[in-house]
Amino acid sequence: MPEALELEIQRVGRALAEAFPSRRGHPLKALDDRAMDLAAEDAELRAALFRFVDVVPACRSLDDLAAHLTGYLEQVHGRPPSLRAAMRMGDTKAGRAALGAAGAAGVRHMAHRFIVGADPAAALPTLRGLWRHGIAASVDLLGEATVTAGEAERYAARCAEALDTLAAAYERMRDQPALERDTLGPIARANLSVKVSALTPLLRPEAPERGQRDAAPRLRELLRRAQRLGAHLHIDMESLDSREAVLDLVLDLLAEPEFEEGPSAGVVLQAYLRDSPQTLDTILDWARDTRRAQPLVVRLVKGAYWDHEVVEARQHGWSVPVFERKADCDVNFEALTARLLEARPLVRVAIASHNLRSVAHAIAFNRLLGGADSDLELQVLRGLGDDLGHALAAGGLRVRAYCPVGDLVAGMAYLVRRLLENTANESFLADQAHGVPLEELLAPPAGEAAPS
Amino acid sequence: MTLAPFANEPVLELRRAGERARLADALQALELPVRVPVWIGDERRDGDELHSTDPAAPERVVALAARATPAEAAGAVAAARGAFPAWAATPVQERAAALLRAAAWMRERRAELAALAVRECAKPWAEADADVCEAIDFLEFYARGAVDLAAGSPLLQVAGERNELRYVPRGVCAVIAPWNFPLAIPMGMTAAALATGNTAVLKPAEQAPGCGLRVVEALRAGGVPAQAVALLPGEGDAGAALARDPDVATIAFTGSGPVGLELLRTAAEVAPGARQLTRVVAEMGGKNCVIVDADADLDEAIPAIVDSAFGYAGQKCSAAARVLVHEAIADALVERLAGAVAGLQVGPADDFATDVPPVVERAAQERVRRYAQLAAREGSLVTGPQSLPDDGWYCLPVVATGLPADSAVLRDEIFGPLLAVESVRDVDEACDRIDALPVALTGGLFARNPRTVQHVVDRSPVGNLYVNRSTTGAMVGRQPFGGNRLSGTGTKAGGHDYLLHFVEPRVVTENTMRHGLVV
Repeated sequence: MPEALELEIQRVGRALAEAFPSRRGHPLKALDDRAMDLAAEDAELRAALFRFVDVVPACRSLDDLAAHLTGYLEQVHGRPPSLRAAMRMGDTKAGRAALGAAGAAGVRHMAHRFIVGADPAAALPTLRGLWRHGIAASVDLLGEATVTAGEAERYAARCAEALDTLAAAYERMRDQPALERDTLGPIARANLSVKVSALTPLLRPEAPERGQRDAAPRLRELLRRAQRLGAHLHIDMESLDSREAVLDLVLDLLAEPEFEEGPSAGVVLQAYLRDSPQTLDTILDWARDTRRAQPLVVRLVKGAYWDHEVVEARQHGWSVPVFERKADCDVNFEALTARLLEARPLVRVAIASHNLRSVAHAIAFNRLLGGADSDLELQVLRGLGDDLGHALAAGGLRVRAYCPVGDLVAGMAYLVRRLLENTANESFLADQAHGVPLEELLAPPAGEAAPS
Repeated sequence: MTLAPFANEPVLELRRAGERARLADALQALELPVRVPVWIGDERRDGDELHSTDPAAPERVVALAARATPAEAAGAVAAARGAFPAWAATPVQERAAALLRAAAWMRERRAELAALAVRECAKPWAEADADVCEAIDFLEFYARGAVDLAAGSPLLQVAGERNELRYVPRGVCAVIAPWNFPLAIPMGMTAAALATGNTAVLKPAEQAPGCGLRVVEALRAGGVPAQAVALLPGEGDAGAALARDPDVATIAFTGSGPVGLELLRTAAEVAPGARQLTRVVAEMGGKNCVIVDADADLDEAIPAIVDSAFGYAGQKCSAAARVLVHEAIADALVERLAGAVAGLQVGPADDFATDVPPVVERAAQERVRRYAQLAAREGSLVTGPQSLPDDGWYCLPVVATGLPADSAVLRDEIFGPLLAVESVRDVDEACDRIDALPVALTGGLFARNPRTVQHVVDRSPVGNLYVNRSTTGAMVGRQPFGGNRLSGTGTKAGGHDYLLHFVEPRVVTENTMRHGLVV
């Protein structure tokens, strides 16, 4: 199989690359912001840009915006001429107003590429457009951190409302057979991703059961509602600090008798974690032991908290829980993909990656196993994986775009994380943008497999 | 002896269930009460005049200790005085090696030591573990520091003379330690004294003699001669006797302001027969303020403030006591802070889910309650009523607002889970209020304009300023710790210059000219 698999990966990968809508529409270029290109090359400039993006919603006036922007730029050595001009604008009140307005507009523009609307209703036109193009969505409600019980309640209420809005809207959309059924049966149209850290202020790494206990009633209500509406509820994974709480919470709740018939629900497996193979063992053991009408959906991702995990571990003197070499992570991603696909029908599989090689591998592996294309879901991030999503949809594959929804204040943490991820040196998208040849992009990762 | 560069002892990864289980087992296995003797040289006098009890369950006796008499204090100093020449003459590498072996001894008993701190001082697990790590860090850090210090300091050299500066130990060091970091702080002060060749008499806090015993056991197990380090469990009279003793060359003290000032006064008086000025290294209290500017990210500021003010029930010298918030976001901050504090779990330290443990003793509980009542009278408490466990010295975590500028709540060190929030027009008003305080230990700032950060850095009088993070948790070698103004003598525990306070410099200049020749 290895040789046949490799051939199929190459074939699929090339076909996908050809189906990309246009080279010009590349996501990094699409940020159409020279600052991004500059930022990718200059660490200080990148820091300045991110700090500015991050603070925009907290600024009280254009003057304040300009003061922050110039404050950050002051700390960049060897500023390019365009930035020196920006700094000079900061010297006058009128200049600051112009600079502040330009900065805020730039950030809003950037945010709108990633965030589809201020609330679910506002996101509907985009979601309908995606659906028409053969792309399903999972909506993620961005929000401020939950530090109080009231905030947890409000987030839960927003989620409930989002489920209602999405279910009603998707019901009226026309049939998209490729998105609505796999070998195991129908697939929910409305799909919401939720975060446990937003459902409780009490997540404590050293006492996972506490946050679990506090979040359980709120999550249970959402599961009930999803079941009533025939919607899918996906529980996101965040940093390792909360993994135990999140996984135990979800698996415990879904095993409750009232959820035997539904709803469809899912969890996330983060391939950058060295011990992710053991986490998959836990998930599969659970799936074997738990009778549910709708198999658990497992979304495989690389993981979005790499810097956090590395820095936290280094600051505490812990062994770093994530793969530090991209190639090792890629190898693990493929190994987990294979295990997940082989584990069907215990679970449904969603592969969420912008790495053309990883995606092609999943598609090829599935085909070689004799699976139908519809038995594999592929997920992309709105704003970054748009081209890939369209290419996949054009190939008749089952695609879902992860669509964050929220206001600018709530969106900044998400935006910064996305930007960080994609200006990183080892980013697949950056490689692609900088014209790394297709053979290289599709080459098997030269890393070591995770011990499992 | 070449030592690997210093690295902090890693705290346990308590997010992993296995680590938590190991600690719970250690607590189960802990044999109480610990018997703590007056321990001078090889002489142990056991006794049970002094009890330390579990603040979460006051009927549980953690340590049964002898209470040192003033005569025993004098005996301990005399013994340490006698041991001084030999220990001072021990090569620094050997002294350092003894400290490193003491660190290894503690490392082997990390879970057990943390469990003792949980019981004796109601330190919640994560903080108890961090306390053990910090004790190990002090041993490792000062061992290396003493080796470096022994190289002396370079001087200007000109033809015909040889100049040399070296540091020599001062003599007997009396270490008077607090209970709030029951292993780390006594170990830090004692290790600094011993590393540099002084002998030491440790008087642990009367609330924590059990942990004090472990400190001395570790040092002796590591190879510090029994005569060079004595344990003197006792109360204020034992500490006072040490301070008055003409043979005490250095007093290393961490604790309350009044006691510290009394020690400074006593030390300033040259006792009859004294042949040396007594030096005092004192780390005292603070009234630590956190400034929150309008551009702060409350998502990060709130948890950090809660942690700073209510971690270990506010009983850290570094704990946040006041928040000075820009009026533009004051309402939002108070609302979210109150909500976050309302969710805190008050409970015993041995429960991993506890956010706020009991305070150390009944008197502390009464003091905190008095200030909470005062705050309610003079301003308002924004945290609602909650239930507390029946037993134990528990206090409700409280946030107070609207206090008058002259309120004692804004001035006194309360050392409990009470946080005052004040609204200010701008960062400068906050700086003015902080500048008006006589104490200057730690401070916090949440702001995202780099110019604001620099401005506050320039204006801040505190010994340790934390920007966009919590104000507690200083790490050895990373955040050398200690306050200015009336908060202390300006020394920095866990910093490179700390050991200088335990030595005296001697300069030798030798004429190398003989008959017109440089020899």
